Amino acid sequence: MTPLGRFGLGLGLSAVMLWSLAPFVWQLLTSVTPPAELEAHSALFPSAPTLVHYRAILAGQPFGRLMLNSFVAASGATLLALVLGSLAGFALAKLHAPGRVATLAVVVTLSMLPPIATVSPLFLIVNALGMHDTLAALILVYAGFALPLAVWLMTQFFRGVPDELYIAARVDGCSAIGAFMRVMLPLAVPGLVATALLVFIYAWNEFLYALSLTASTASRTMPVGIALFPGIHEVPWGEIAAGSVLATIPAVLLAISFQRRVLEGLTAGAVKA
Amino acid sequence: MGRRTVLRALSTLPLGAALAGCRARDRDESNVVVFRHPKLFGDPTALNVVLADFERASGVRVRREALPASSDEQHLFYAINLQARSREFDVLALDTIWTAEFAQAGWLREITHLLSVADRADFFPGALASVTWQGRIHALPWFADAGLLYWRKDLLAQHAMAPPRTWDELLAATRAVKTAQPGLHGFVWQGKQYEGLVCNALEFVWSHGGDLDAAHVREAIDGLAFMRALVTEGVSPAWVTTLTEESARVIFGRGDALFLRNWPYAWRLFEREGSMLRGRVGMSVLPHAPGEQSAGTLGGWQLGVNAFSQRSAVAEQLAAYLTAPSAQKALALAYGYSPPRRSLYADAEFAAAQPFLASLHGVLEAARPRPVSPHYVALSQTLQAQFSAVLTGVRSPQAALDRMLRTAAALERR
Amino acid sequence: MRSARREALLLLAPGGLLLVVVTALPMLLVLWLSFETRSVFRPPAFAGLDNYLRLAYDPRFWNALWNTVYFALVSVTLELVLGMAIALLVARAGRVRSLVYGAMLVPWAIPTVASARMWEWMYNAEFGVINSLLGAQINWLGDPLLALHAAIAMDVWKSTPFVALLLLAGLQSIPPDLYRAAAIDGARAWTTFRRITLPLLVPVILVAIVFRTIDALRVFDAVYVLTGGGPANGTETLSIYAYKALFQTLEFGYGSALAVAVLAITAAATIIYARLLRAGGQ
Repeated sequence: MTPLGRFGLGLGLSAVMLWSLAPFVWQLLTSVTPPAELEAHSALFPSAPTLVHYRAILAGQPFGRLMLNSFVAASGATLLALVLGSLAGFALAKLHAPGRVATLAVVVTLSMLPPIATVSPLFLIVNALGMHDTLAALILVYAGFALPLAVWLMTQFFRGVPDELYIAARVDGCSAIGAFMRVMLPLAVPGLVATALLVFIYAWNEFLYALSLTASTASRTMPVGIALFPGIHEVPWGEIAAGSVLATIPAVLLAISFQRRVLEGLTAGAVKA
Repeated sequence: MGRRTVLRALSTLPLGAALAGCRARDRDESNVVVFRHPKLFGDPTALNVVLADFERASGVRVRREALPASSDEQHLFYAINLQARSREFDVLALDTIWTAEFAQAGWLREITHLLSVADRADFFPGALASVTWQGRIHALPWFADAGLLYWRKDLLAQHAMAPPRTWDELLAATRAVKTAQPGLHGFVWQGKQYEGLVCNALEFVWSHGGDLDAAHVREAIDGLAFMRALVTEGVSPAWVTTLTEESARVIFGRGDALFLRNWPYAWRLFEREGSMLRGRVGMSVLPHAPGEQSAGTLGGWQLGVNAFSQRSAVAEQLAAYLTAPSAQKALALAYGYSPPRRSLYADAEFAAAQPFLASLHGVLEAARPRPVSPHYVALSQTLQAQFSAVLTGVRSPQAALDRMLRTAAALERR
Repeated sequence: MRSARREALLLLAPGGLLLVVVTALPMLLVLWLSFETRSVFRPPAFAGLDNYLRLAYDPRFWNALWNTVYFALVSVTLELVLGMAIALLVARAGRVRSLVYGAMLVPWAIPTVASARMWEWMYNAEFGVINSLLGAQINWLGDPLLALHAAIAMDVWKSTPFVALLLLAGLQSIPPDLYRAAAIDGARAWTTFRRITLPLLVPVILVAIVFRTIDALRVFDAVYVLTGGGPANGTETLSIYAYKALFQTLEFGYGSALAVAVLAITAAATIIYARLLRAGGQ
C-alpha cells in the first residue's frame, strides 16, 4: 500500500473508532463533571473531575441494588439458557431428531417476536401466578427469549464437532447423556462462552419486560433505573450519565475481553464459512 | 372444558394474585390499617407524628407503604391491585386526575358523608370538583397544587415594569427587558409532549375564556394560537417543546429567563442558600386575556378509601383525620405542600411559618381541575399529542381542538 | 433408532416447555386478547373483529405505522451503506484489528436505554455537544420531523458496527484468489467490488437486512426513552402506541390488537426476506 493509502486507511480507521467510542466517552466525561459546570457553556473537558454523581446514585438512590438485580437476573437467565440450549442444540445436531429443520426454523422464528407482542399476556400470567416484581419471573422470561438464540448457536457449534467423536463415545458404552457430558460439552466450550456472552449481554440490557414485570427495588433492573431516573430536583444529567456508565461498563468489558467469542456468536450461521 | 369455562378462567387471571396473597395476611393484622402514599420529600417523622396522634385516638395501628416512583407506575399499581379487588391497603393517595376513573370502576368507597357543610365551604372549589363524580364524593383533597407565574423582580424593577396581569403585559415586559438583554429568554414553561403540557395548554385556553367544549371553542382557539405565537414571536425558545418542570426551572434558576410557569415547589429552590436568584423572584397567578380570568391547573393529591377494604370504618376515619385542618396544617408546616383548605390561609401561625404558602391563596382559588372524567388517562394522550401538534406548528388550533373534542366524545361513549 | 428419538425428545423437552410458556403461549394469548374488549369499567367481553376495525379507522395507528416503517427503511438503508463502507475499510486493518473490533463492539454492548439517555443529552438544545460543535441551537428533539431523524441517527450509530461486523465476516470468507485473478486482469477497485465482492456478499447482506429490519420494526426502548413518542406523536412507533394503550390506558384488548399488528408487519417482512434469501441462495 502506498504511504498515502496507509495514511488514508489510518484516518478511516480512526474515524471508525471515533464514531464508535465518542458518545460513550462524552457520557463518561459528563459523569465526572461537577454539577455546576454541567449546564454552563464551557469546554468539553471538566476542569476538576469529581465522583460526586457516582456517590449520589449509589448512596442516595438504590442503584447498587439495581445493579445486583441486573446481575442476578442476567446470570440466572444465562445459566438456564446455557443448560437448556446446549441440551437442545446437542439433540438437534447429533441425535437426528425428527423434524430437525422445521424445529430449528420455528425456534429461529420465535426469536423474531416483537417483545411488545408478548408483554401483555406475560404481564397477566405473571400477575396471576403472584410473581409480579420477582427476579424469578425475569430469569424465566429472559431465558425463554434467549433460548432460540442459544439453541441456534449451540446447534451450529455442535455441528462443527465431528460425528465420529460422538459415535466413538457411544460405542465405548456411554449413554447419550454421558457422551454429551464427557465428550461433546468440553469440545463446545467456545460455543458455550459465545452463547453465555450474548445471552448475558441481552439480559443485562433488556428493558421492556423489566419495565413491565417489575415494580420496586425488589426486582427492578438497571435499564429501568436509568430510564425512570427520579429527578425531582435538578435534571440530574450528571447522575444519569453516571448511571449509564455503570450500566454499560459490564457489558462493554465483557464484549471487549471476549471479542473473538462474541464475534463468533454474532456471525454464526450468517456466513457459510 | 367448555368455551365458557375457558373464558371465565382467562378473565379471572388477575384475581389469582389477590386470592393467593390475601389469605395469609388476614390472619396477622386485624388491628392495622394500611396507608399507601407516594414518597414525601422531607422529614418522614412529621407524618409519623401526625399518624401517632391518630393511633392513640383510635386504637388502631397505621402502616405506611410507599408507592412506586413515577406517576404511570403508581396508576398501574393501583389498577392491577384494585381490579383484582386487593384488600392489602385501605387508604390510598390518588393523583387528582384518577379519582373519576377509580370511582367509575367501583374501586373507591363513596365518602360523601365525611364532608360536612363546613368542609364544603372550606375546600377550594377546584379541589372539590376533582373529588366529585356524578354528584358524589369519592376522595378527600389532601395537598393542592396549582400552576403559577414566577418572574424576575429585579429585572422588572430595572425597567420600571409591574408584574404582568394580562398576557399583553407579559409580552410588553419581555420586549422591554430583551432590548437590554437580547440573550434572555422571555417565558419558559413546559412544552414537551407529556402530562405537563396539558396543564400548561389548558392554562392558556382557560385564561382566554376558552374550554374543551363546543360552547367555548372560539376562545380556546385564541388561547392555543397565543401559545403557538409565543414560539413564533420568539418570546419562548423553540425548544420549549423539550422542557419539563425541572428543565424549565433550571433555566429560570440560572437567570436565563424572565418569566417561568411552574408549580409552587420551585419557590423553595429559588430561595435556598446558594441560589443566584435568592430574593429576586416574585410569584403571582398566571396572566389572563383582557376581560377574562386567571387560571391555574389544579394538581396535587387526594385520599380515597379502598372499596374492598375490610376495615372501611377505620379507613374512613383515617382519611378524614389526615384531611382535617389540624393534620393538614401540621403537614404543610413540615413538608411545604399547600393545603386545600381556605381557612388555613387565614391562620396566623401558618402565615408566619410558611409565608409563601400563605400567599398562594389566590392561586389556589383560581385553580381548575383538568377534565374530570373516568377516561381522563386516555383523553390525556390525545390532548398531549394535539397540544404538541399546535405548539410545533404541525396542526392549526382549530383542527387540533376538533380532534380533541371528537376523541372526548368517542371516549364518553365507550 | 426409536430410543434415539426418545432421547432426543427428552433433551428437547425442558427447553421446549420454557419456550412454549414464555413465547408460544403468550403469542396465542395476545391473539385471543385482541378479540376482546377489556377495560377497567366492564368485565372482559368477546368483541370479534371490533378492535381491528377500530385499528383500520384510527389515524393514530396509521401515523404510528408510518413512523415505524419509515424508521425501519431509512435506518436499515443507512446502516447497510455505512456498514459496507466500514467493513471494506476495517478488512484492511491488519495489526490493529482487535483494537478496532473492540471499539466497534462498544455501541452494540451499550444498553439501548443508556444509549438513548446519552443521545438525549447530546441532542440537548442548549448544552448538547452536537449543538455546541455546530454553534447553533437546533431543536433536535422538540421538532416532530427532526426528532424522528434524530432517533434514526441514534439507531444507525448503535447498529452500524454490528452490520459492519457481519459484512466483515462475509468479506473474509471470499477466497483471495478471486481478487488476485481480477487484479491480474487489470480490473479497477470499483469493478472488482461490483462484480466479485457484492454478488458473493448477497447472502450475508440479506441476513443483515433481515435482522436489522426486524429489530427496527419492533423498536421500543430507544425511542421511548429518547422522546416518549413526541412531539406531536412524531416519533410514536407502533410498539410505543401499543405500550401506552396497554399500560397507561389499560386497554388490554385494543393494545393487544396493536401488538398483533407489530407482529404482523414483522412477520410479513421476515417472509419477504426469507423468500429473497432462498432465491439469492440459488
